[in-house]
Amino acid sequence: MLRRIAAMLLVIGLFALAAAQGTLIIAQGTDPASLDAAKATDSPSATVYSHIYETLYELTADGEVVPQLATGVTVSSDNMTYVFDIRQGVTFHDGTPLTANEVKASIEQFLAPETAAPFRFLLDRIAEVNVLDTYKVEVKLASVFAPLITHLTHSSTAIVKTGVDLDATPIGTGPFEFVSWDRGQRVDLKRYEGYWGDKPGIDGLRFLAVPESTTRMALVETGEAHVAVRVPPQDIARLNANPNVTVEQVSSVRTIYIYFNHTMEPFTDVRVRQAINYAVDKEELVEFVLGGAARVSDAPISPGVFGYTPVGSYEFDPEKARELLAEAGFPDGFSTTLYSPNGRYLQDIQVSEAIQSQLARVGIDAQIETLEWNAYLAKTNMPAEENEVPFAMLGWGTVTGDADYGHFALFHSTQHVPNGSNRAFYANPTVDALLDQARTNTDPALRAVLYEEVMKLLWDDAAWLFLYSETQLVAVRDGVEGLVIHPTERYLAFDVSLR
Amino acid sequence: MLQYTLRRILVAVPSVLGVMIIVFAMVRLAPGDPAQNLAGEFADAETIELIRERFGLNEPTHVQFYRFVTGVLQGDLGTSTRTYRPVTTDLATFFPNTLELALGAITIALLFGIPSGILAALRPNSAFDLSVMIGALIGVSMPVFWFGLLAILIFSVQLGWFPVAGRGTLMHLVLPAITLGLSSMAIIARMTRSSMLEVLNQDFIRTARAKGLFDRGVVMKHALRNALVPVVTVIGLQFGALLAGAVITETVFSWPGIGRLLVDSIRARDYPVVQGAVLLIAVSFIVVNLVVDLVYGFIDPRIRYD
Repeated sequence: MLRRIAAMLLVIGLFALAAAQGTLIIAQGTDPASLDAAKATDSPSATVYSHIYETLYELTADGEVVPQLATGVTVSSDNMTYVFDIRQGVTFHDGTPLTANEVKASIEQFLAPETAAPFRFLLDRIAEVNVLDTYKVEVKLASVFAPLITHLTHSSTAIVKTGVDLDATPIGTGPFEFVSWDRGQRVDLKRYEGYWGDKPGIDGLRFLAVPESTTRMALVETGEAHVAVRVPPQDIARLNANPNVTVEQVSSVRTIYIYFNHTMEPFTDVRVRQAINYAVDKEELVEFVLGGAARVSDAPISPGVFGYTPVGSYEFDPEKARELLAEAGFPDGFSTTLYSPNGRYLQDIQVSEAIQSQLARVGIDAQIETLEWNAYLAKTNMPAEENEVPFAMLGWGTVTGDADYGHFALFHSTQHVPNGSNRAFYANPTVDALLDQARTNTDPALRAVLYEEVMKLLWDDAAWLFLYSETQLVAVRDGVEGLVIHPTERYLAFDVSLR
Repeated sequence: MLQYTLRRILVAVPSVLGVMIIVFAMVRLAPGDPAQNLAGEFADAETIELIRERFGLNEPTHVQFYRFVTGVLQGDLGTSTRTYRPVTTDLATFFPNTLELALGAITIALLFGIPSGILAALRPNSAFDLSVMIGALIGVSMPVFWFGLLAILIFSVQLGWFPVAGRGTLMHLVLPAITLGLSSMAIIARMTRSSMLEVLNQDFIRTARAKGLFDRGVVMKHALRNALVPVVTVIGLQFGALLAGAVITETVFSWPGIGRLLVDSIRARDYPVVQGAVLLIAVSFIVVNLVVDLVYGFIDPRIRYD
């Protein structure tokens, strides 16, 4: 009898084991550009290497900053020196232990000019890194920089094994280790048995590169993939009708907006900018052009970012728009050019066309100009005196999870293109002063208040035509549990189980 | 023949140099900047400058060209500004995949194109001839992406016969090869038909028939061999074009070929990869044409190489 029970338990145990295992297959839109964290800026790369490498701090999907490879930090009274305690008992995938030396080497490699890391600016306030003892690293800053800890959550600042070709053999401390990469096709990872934290419930992960969205959806419909990202809005209903597939909708930290060129008539007049904000029906765009896959903006940044507070709304009010235009001296409207990317953001050109027709209703004749992405960047990146772009759509992902990243480069007057990313040539001394203060003050409560003030000013000043935050649409097959669709547009499978 | 081959290779040198100059100039004339692309829309001027320096993009154009040419002579095509990988590594990864797909496509095109062309020519204006010609017309005019997606929906999603996408087994090759080979098949069928019709009306065929030869012998031995020269030309051109990568088929079926690599690189203004890939495509086109010219001699001994 006992033997029979034991045998039954064994069988049940084997079943449980089988259920807990398997390989999760995720179909992404493109192949990673690089698996060296310092060298990639695209989210398919970040999705893959976020499973291999870990950062000192982690930004959770709820927008919280929690320790990862650092267990704590002591900040000097002048806020210029940070001493990080490094987690003990962590090993790289090649078996070597993680100590302060590796952390120092990794940060220095990220900052080295020869690395030419695209995200170098995240940490460029760091002046030097010193090893204090086996598990203590001291970081000295060149100037006070409040967003340092949140910047250390960014996936490109991951702690990597230095001195190896990370693109060919990525070695980190994460829960999955690298197996192989068939370029243009797939990346395979397997569970790292020496992982310091909770080990993943699945054996491995496979990332497929599938550029055509119809094909990507077909993969998840046939069960050849468990997850397919970037579902076209028009496919949501069809996929949801499939009993084995669910389309998950999770908001992204990417905000879509149309900026005004603040050096060009008539956008120098705040009444004109406000009129345009009133003339555009954002709810209609979200519902009919984006199939509900967006959230109307109520601040220049999105929820889930530190410093976000809803600061207002420009309700659709064409009558008020006409009044404001008349006050500004344009009772019959005016003509302008609306620059729009085509295919860079979800339904971008379609949204621009809808806005064109909405503006026409208040007398504004906006001709749409669309350019290939690189030409678009080049054209909008010209210095003020050569810049010909009056009104243009762009998107911004506050991927560090800190409002500094979502404001400083876009609204500070020192950041006008081509120096920074302020393509609107926005200049407001009060906003500058508040942004400087928020950047150098390390008290989170005070920073939050400062950002709220900045956002209110920008909103009332109608610095942009505020539109919406994108929603990520991800098709997930039934039986996949625990997948995290991160607002920074990464798909994380640390806690996934397959039924 | 050896002399002819050597001469052709020498003649190809200026063509290759011409391709290098044109592609080098064209990628740089297009608006946009590789460093800006790599750094993203919101990178600062300092980061962009560092990237330019890292990839030698801030050097004068003539220095960059000199580096390109001397690099090519040493088998070094530079480093990708999108992936930081040597261009030769990328080409060595993606080109064999393109070759595999191109061979699959041309095999299907020959297997169905030549027999249907011959049979159509033997019964001109019959129902069979008409259906082959209509089929060929459809094959040439059908949009590849539409046919590819339709094939996936029917044969993979509905019937489950073939995998949806990717590369690996022979089953993975079937749908993309048919999709890609369809227009070549149509062109080859039409060419075979018209070329056969022309030959079948000539005096020597009538003589052969008058001698009492079997019809099959006449068709296969006398007519087909004489009809093949223009067909081989078309096959060579088609195969050369297939080697240039088929970006739409590769995209629809997630096939990691050189066409997709090239388009991704053009989008990212990845100068070294665009230059390297175009150069490789040009060289393979030249090689295919040379092979075609040499094949003429085997088909038709009257063609001499001196």
